[in-house]
Amino acid sequence: MHIVLPRDVSLDGHLVDGAIGYLTIATGIAFVAALGVFLAALVLHRARAGRTWGQHTHGNRARDRALTFAIALILFVAVDVTLAVRATRELEGRFWRYPDHDPAALRVEVTARQWAWSFRTAGPDGRFGTPDDVVTLNELDVPVGRPVYLKLRSRDVVHSLYLPSYRFKIDAIPGSTTRAWFQAVEAGRTEVGCAQHCGVGHTRMRGWLVARDQADYQGWLARAETDSRLRFDPAAGSAADAWDWETGL
Amino acid sequence: MDTETGPLPAAPTGFWRRYVFSTDHKVIGRQFLFLGLGFLAVGGIMAMLIRWQLARPGDPVPVVGRLFFHSAGGVISPPAYTALFTMHGTIMIFFAVTPILIGGFGNFLLPLLIGARDMAFPRLNMASYWTMAAATGVLCASFFVPLGPPQAGWTAYATLSTALGAPGVGQTLWVIAIYLNGASSVMGAVNYITTVLRLRAPGMTYLRLPLTVWGLFLTSILNALFVPVLGAAMVLLLFDRLFGTQFFTAGTTPGAGGDPILYQHLFWLFGHPEVYILILPAWGIVGDLLSFFARKPAFGYRVTVGALVGVVVLSAVVYGHHMFTTGLSPLLGESFMVLTMIISVPTALLVLNWLGTLWRGAIRFSVPMLFCLGMVFTFGVGGLTGLYLADVVADMYLHDTYFVVGHFHLIMAAALLLSLFAAVYFWYPKMFGRMLGERLGRWHFWLTFVPLNLVFMGQLVIGLEGMQRRLYDPSVYEAWRRLAPLNRSISHAAYLLGAAQLLFVWNFFVSLRRGRTAPANPWEVGTLEWSVPSPPPHHNFDTIPVVVRGPHELADPAARPLGRDWLSQTEVLDEPAPGLPVPRGRS
Amino acid sequence: MSTAAVRRETDSAVGLLVFMGATAMLFAALLLAYAILRAQAPAWPPPGAPPFPRAAAGLNTLLLVAASLALRRWRAAAAALGVGFLAGQVVLWRHLIAIGLGPAGGHAALLGQIFLALSALHALHVAGGLVALALGGGKLRLIAMYWDFVLVVWVVLYAAVCWV
Repeated sequence: MHIVLPRDVSLDGHLVDGAIGYLTIATGIAFVAALGVFLAALVLHRARAGRTWGQHTHGNRARDRALTFAIALILFVAVDVTLAVRATRELEGRFWRYPDHDPAALRVEVTARQWAWSFRTAGPDGRFGTPDDVVTLNELDVPVGRPVYLKLRSRDVVHSLYLPSYRFKIDAIPGSTTRAWFQAVEAGRTEVGCAQHCGVGHTRMRGWLVARDQADYQGWLARAETDSRLRFDPAAGSAADAWDWETGL
Repeated sequence: MDTETGPLPAAPTGFWRRYVFSTDHKVIGRQFLFLGLGFLAVGGIMAMLIRWQLARPGDPVPVVGRLFFHSAGGVISPPAYTALFTMHGTIMIFFAVTPILIGGFGNFLLPLLIGARDMAFPRLNMASYWTMAAATGVLCASFFVPLGPPQAGWTAYATLSTALGAPGVGQTLWVIAIYLNGASSVMGAVNYITTVLRLRAPGMTYLRLPLTVWGLFLTSILNALFVPVLGAAMVLLLFDRLFGTQFFTAGTTPGAGGDPILYQHLFWLFGHPEVYILILPAWGIVGDLLSFFARKPAFGYRVTVGALVGVVVLSAVVYGHHMFTTGLSPLLGESFMVLTMIISVPTALLVLNWLGTLWRGAIRFSVPMLFCLGMVFTFGVGGLTGLYLADVVADMYLHDTYFVVGHFHLIMAAALLLSLFAAVYFWYPKMFGRMLGERLGRWHFWLTFVPLNLVFMGQLVIGLEGMQRRLYDPSVYEAWRRLAPLNRSISHAAYLLGAAQLLFVWNFFVSLRRGRTAPANPWEVGTLEWSVPSPPPHHNFDTIPVVVRGPHELADPAARPLGRDWLSQTEVLDEPAPGLPVPRGRS
Repeated sequence: MSTAAVRRETDSAVGLLVFMGATAMLFAALLLAYAILRAQAPAWPPPGAPPFPRAAAGLNTLLLVAASLALRRWRAAAAALGVGFLAGQVVLWRHLIAIGLGPAGGHAALLGQIFLALSALHALHVAGGLVALALGGGKLRLIAMYWDFVLVVWVVLYAAVCWV
């Protein structure tokens, strides 16, 4: 069977695909080897005329134990240790290295509610909660080639922002702020969803991520800002979604 | 561990004392078994309905649709669908597998396998069953309350499970049912642990216990330690729901009030050991049965026992891998990843010992053995796919997708179901005095094993392609529309799987009356339960047996003069035949 | 006692130990929850909350200590003291709710709320001990073991909520 993952359009998604690929090869080899022994035993050592007795061994001899421990250890090093080392390196070097001090990073505040996502960027003044904030519902527009730094909160239950084409998801939790970052490498529309069961409308909690080339993004941003200024209403409930980025994690 | 003295306890006579409020572990075991099998059927029908919705979102359910979903014209509505997957998970874990494997086989087998006349506390045992029965009553009551049954998933994450996300009475009843279910499990654990510690027959040392007993014993230890943690979460959730406290709810601003993630910590601190609570008895049963039907001692018995103990020790410190996407601190995230991976060492030892047991055996492909071999296969796939989810990087993509569903169903559903059937086919003669039909059993195996793997491996594929769990209608997502044919195929395999269980139901009930009468020891093995008649008398053993060897003495040369390849655990051999090694007292 | 009776009593003691281990885990998990909630709060006790009535809780503690001490000699007195403890707890709960440390107190009342949950569950276990005392007949040793255990749990709860 041909398994097709959604097209990876992110800077670091290949690391996830690489981990899955390595896992598939490593566990595949282990599985095929074990299956081979298993099937061989079933065929060769089935009870039949001339084979009514099994071998009388408890497998408690030093040699037997050494063999089982050695195989388990080899598996552990070849699969687990390799994966853990690799994952730790990638997490610390890439996924958990947040662009806190990168001036090019686009900062986005994500607020989840039953059953929609709202995305807020700070606008030209660089501050959240001001009239030039660009707030979009169920659509996140990002520039290609710049890191996008997300911080998430939830107004009601636990949700999980899921970007299959960017190979990650991160929960949005009431009462705390979580974060993630990614970078688009090609322009295009991909789906955004909720991965955590959040009630009867869970399926409908879906939107789009639109990655735009630099020029396209600037044009979109200018239009969106004008719109936002016209629509800004400090008394609206959604205005309370904004928080102070520096102090509020 | 001295021998039982005094007169044999008399069997009760009246109907109520004998079949309903019985304190006989064999009766209670069968009560648990029937209750669990009943709920297995209910949970299975729910799975079929879920699969119907995933195959044909929004189409009316044929035949039973009008009955179950009357107001919606036979269509499964979103609330009905959420309720279905919530109850499917709850029922299968807490009210099907738990009562069957732990309550049913645990009760029936423990005293028989260790050479005791009953459990240490027979009345507590009865209370444990009736507490479970009360829990099922409370759970079923939730179907008939305003706003319907619970819909927060079997994990019932706060705040979806608090009054904020689930205002109905159904969720409150769910909390109470889970608490009662846990109380029943703890009563059972107190009983099982005491029984194994105190009531073993003379000579039944710890390293002569059948692996089934080891599995049940370790499960009971985990039950005693971690079910109370779930109890704590349920108490706090109940306070939040009934009295308006705010342990698990929080404002939008961080720092104010309770913490929804606290619920997840408590839930998974129980929830991960729970996985082992369920699988440990299955591991034990499969370990014994592989040896019995390979006609060869269990390979590396001591290493296997050590591995089981190792899993128990590790089980509590790996739970964080369920929470990688909640923004755990890097230190916690990496620690949980490494600890989770370490647990693959004892598991690998276990599987290697199973292979070692089969190697150079004289394997008999009886029906229980078929199910055991099937279990080894699906457990292998299920275990290896677990590594994907232990890896934080891969988990960022795979978490909460169908890959997770496929992985845990391969273990919790496929491997557990297969070992559960193995146990039924193996011990049915001892329980009911009749043999299950062999031919039907073989059909049942193949028609279960093949679709089971198609369903859950299909789910692995769908998950790798990215589809989330718990979606009412995947076609809402453009990206998942191309998965529709595969989703339909999975559903068809699931219907086949469901239909095949009718063979089992038929076989089970018809054999009760018309099955071949079971001899005392149909499988020719040496553990204690096969040394008494089928079914055993009320007091199990006329005289408490004296155990002289381990549970897997098959193919022992010392048995050759007896004209068979097995030795009973109690058999005292005369002078060893010249030229043969002296059989050692310990296995 | 005959050997069989001695053996059965040991069986019961082992069972009771396992049960107490499970119960200890229940309270340990609740205390863990308390510790986590407390560690996450910006200030503890939460600002705006009335002070916790330590003295009243201390008085109840004395009742439970006295009950445990009395149990081996004067069972009736022990039972009376146990009932007194439960009554004292009920008074304490009503007082907590009255001063705003109950569920209605919102996030500021978190300390009172967690205490209510902990002590309510504990009270159920004390009540269980009273039932055992009423019905348990000759198994005084085991009942005393359980009462002491319930006392220890209470002292830990009291110390954790009031003095740590």
